[in-house]
Amino acid sequence: MHEHYGVVLAFGILGFILMYVAFILQKLIGPKNSSELKLDTYECGEPTEGSSWVQFNIRFYVIALIFIVFDVEVVFLFPWAVVFKDMGFVTFIEVFVFLAILVVGLAYVWAKGDLEWVKMKLKYGTGRYAATRLHESESP
Amino acid sequence: MDLTQLALSLKYFIPEMVLTGFIVVAILYDLFLKPETSHRVGFVAIAGLVVTLGMLYQQQGIPATGIFANMFALDGFATFFKWVVAIGAALAIWMSLDTKELENRRVGEYHILILILVLGMFLLVSATHIISIYLSLEMVSIMSYLLAGYLKENSRSNEASVKYVIYGAFSSGIMLYGLSLLYGLTGTGYISEIQAQLVLGQVSPVMLVLVTVLLLAGFGYKISAVPFHFWTPDVYEGAPTPITAFLSVAPKAAGFAVLIRFFNVALSQGDPNTPSWLALPGLDWPMIIAVLSAITMTVGNVLAIQQNNIKRLLAYSSIAHAGYMLMGVVVADQTGIAAILYYAGVYMLMNLGAFFVAIQIKNIYNTETIADYAGLGFKAPWIGIAMAVFLFALTGLPPTAGFVAKFYLFRALVQFGDGFLWLAMFGLLNGVVSLFYYMRILKAMYFDKMEIPEKLTAVPLHFNVLMFILVVPLLVGWMFGDPLSIWAAEAVQFFF
Amino acid sequence: MGEVIFWVIWALVAVSAMVVAFSKNLVYSVFSLLATFIGVAGIYIFLNADFLAVTQIVIYVGGILVLLVFGIMLTNRIVVAKITQSSLQRTTGLVVVGAIFLVLVLTLLNQTWPLATSAAEFDSTVNNIGELLFGDYLILFEVASVLLLGALIGAATLARKEL
Repeated sequence: MHEHYGVVLAFGILGFILMYVAFILQKLIGPKNSSELKLDTYECGEPTEGSSWVQFNIRFYVIALIFIVFDVEVVFLFPWAVVFKDMGFVTFIEVFVFLAILVVGLAYVWAKGDLEWVKMKLKYGTGRYAATRLHESESP
Repeated sequence: MDLTQLALSLKYFIPEMVLTGFIVVAILYDLFLKPETSHRVGFVAIAGLVVTLGMLYQQQGIPATGIFANMFALDGFATFFKWVVAIGAALAIWMSLDTKELENRRVGEYHILILILVLGMFLLVSATHIISIYLSLEMVSIMSYLLAGYLKENSRSNEASVKYVIYGAFSSGIMLYGLSLLYGLTGTGYISEIQAQLVLGQVSPVMLVLVTVLLLAGFGYKISAVPFHFWTPDVYEGAPTPITAFLSVAPKAAGFAVLIRFFNVALSQGDPNTPSWLALPGLDWPMIIAVLSAITMTVGNVLAIQQNNIKRLLAYSSIAHAGYMLMGVVVADQTGIAAILYYAGVYMLMNLGAFFVAIQIKNIYNTETIADYAGLGFKAPWIGIAMAVFLFALTGLPPTAGFVAKFYLFRALVQFGDGFLWLAMFGLLNGVVSLFYYMRILKAMYFDKMEIPEKLTAVPLHFNVLMFILVVPLLVGWMFGDPLSIWAAEAVQFFF
Repeated sequence: MGEVIFWVIWALVAVSAMVVAFSKNLVYSVFSLLATFIGVAGIYIFLNADFLAVTQIVIYVGGILVLLVFGIMLTNRIVVAKITQSSLQRTTGLVVVGAIFLVLVLTLLNQTWPLATSAAEFDSTVNNIGELLFGDYLILFEVASVLLLGALIGAATLARKEL
């Protein structure tokens, strides 16, 4: 069966080669007058400031977590879509139960405000970050 | 699986479905609550557990049967553990509503996660297919990691959660490897069919030992048997104390359930329900478990001696108790398993009790150090007496049910024959060692000078009620014909 | 041809996994993990498990890896923190792991595997997986949804700033 995936592999290899072709081409035909300045990190024409290692907002993480859960859910739906015609309406109910349980999770994160990028008003901000509330509502 | 089978399976699945329903209701209810009132979810959770227990009671008398294409079993063995788990969860939630550790934070999710953990254990104790075993084991593990790290501003709690995750992921990976080997060897995932294949004797003994060891990594981690115990003290210390209490009781019992079911069904010579049951020829797993048991109880007891923190002490003592319970797995015939069931029930009461006393003392005096318990027996007489009963039971001294539970285990081991008399001797020696550190707490409570000058804050009434509920069965439960042991003996009935 | 590609993929997985384990920089480890995951997907294809291969790409490469990268990027005071890893007791570890490896290989080679003989004809496995998932394994499918629900709620709770 793996022969059928030769196409996928060929695509991958081709993509890889094309990327390096671009590199090699510019190496071959591009003019070579290097200077110290050219090695600088590019930041909109400005001199760079500080490290590029910055801390991301924690909200990225929550969103990514939610994404993974629904990613897994979608993967489960593919086999269902394939067999739905043969196996009939019962599988519809089965998938409905599956989705209903996960929708509860979606409702949960939605109602708790985990999907909001900027929390203008914290619904439950009494903990250790209560003091930062003002600050958080100003900056994205 | 056709529709009639599905309908029948659903009929036998009512407790789990009710529990799932309550999980959903609890989540939705939590959405409407403010942080100050979010503890109300705990009442929903307790109500859900009570209704589930009612539904479990309805299932009495159904003969052992497989449900959902034999993915899960409905048998006396599973039902017994479901009772232990659900009662333990209800008591833990009760105590969670009282502890100061969980004040000033949202606790709705906490109770929801406990309910999902209970559902996972319900499935784990009845799983009869390697995939259902693995899935429910993961469900139990993941919910435990989350609950252990619930105090997220507390670095101890974070440490507990992370350590738990790393050890858990590693051991469950090893177990998964063992399961995959087993599947490759037999071509089936049903543990009873695995047995049918293995008994043909085409698998080399070395391979069988290898698979057994790999599987023990997963199961041993759940019951915190040495050498898979390293996470236990840190997790138990860092997690919220009600969760520690719960983790030391319910997932451990569920871990024993799946261990016993797997070894007794898959690695045996035939039907585990017959008295002439024997382990699989060519694989002396009772000996492996016997060695594990001896090491586990010794390590747990010896390390417990040096502990000054009550939670760490109880953590090591719970390792030791896992060792005692493994003695029953060594015997693995009906008396041995009945003894484990009995022990699991009694252990649930006495260990929860000891932890609950620790929680209450933390609430009042804000200390977890044993030295600070000085004079407590006179300041808070009821708590003192209750703690004394729990410690006597944990040591295995009469007149408590703890003594009876240990007695059954040793009796099963001695009746089994001379082969494992050395293990019984080991167990007795360990009992003496454990006497030392349990009595150290009692000594602090009754014979040391009190050091905390301030007056006692009143112990809430409901805590006294809770203590009463736990103490009375431990003191008198084993009299009057010992109903628990009768139930345990009847519950040794596997779906095969 | 197929044989050659298989061994190339095998080498890719082995080498990139070693980079994951031994790289001094955590970020290199994570990006090397990408190659490992993709290579494993390739091995799944050679095992006639096409659905698993796609799942591997969708979930591990598309989801888990992103989460790991975030995990590093989110680390508090990442500018000051030393983003390296190192292993303790390498010699002891090597001896133990080597011994286990030896035992495993010897046992696995000396065993006859009943399933290994059946050379499967190529057929997309999605159909079979669907039939099993909604047939015998239905309950596990539904249980998985509760597990995902719990994981979602727990993860959102722990990742949230508020207590």
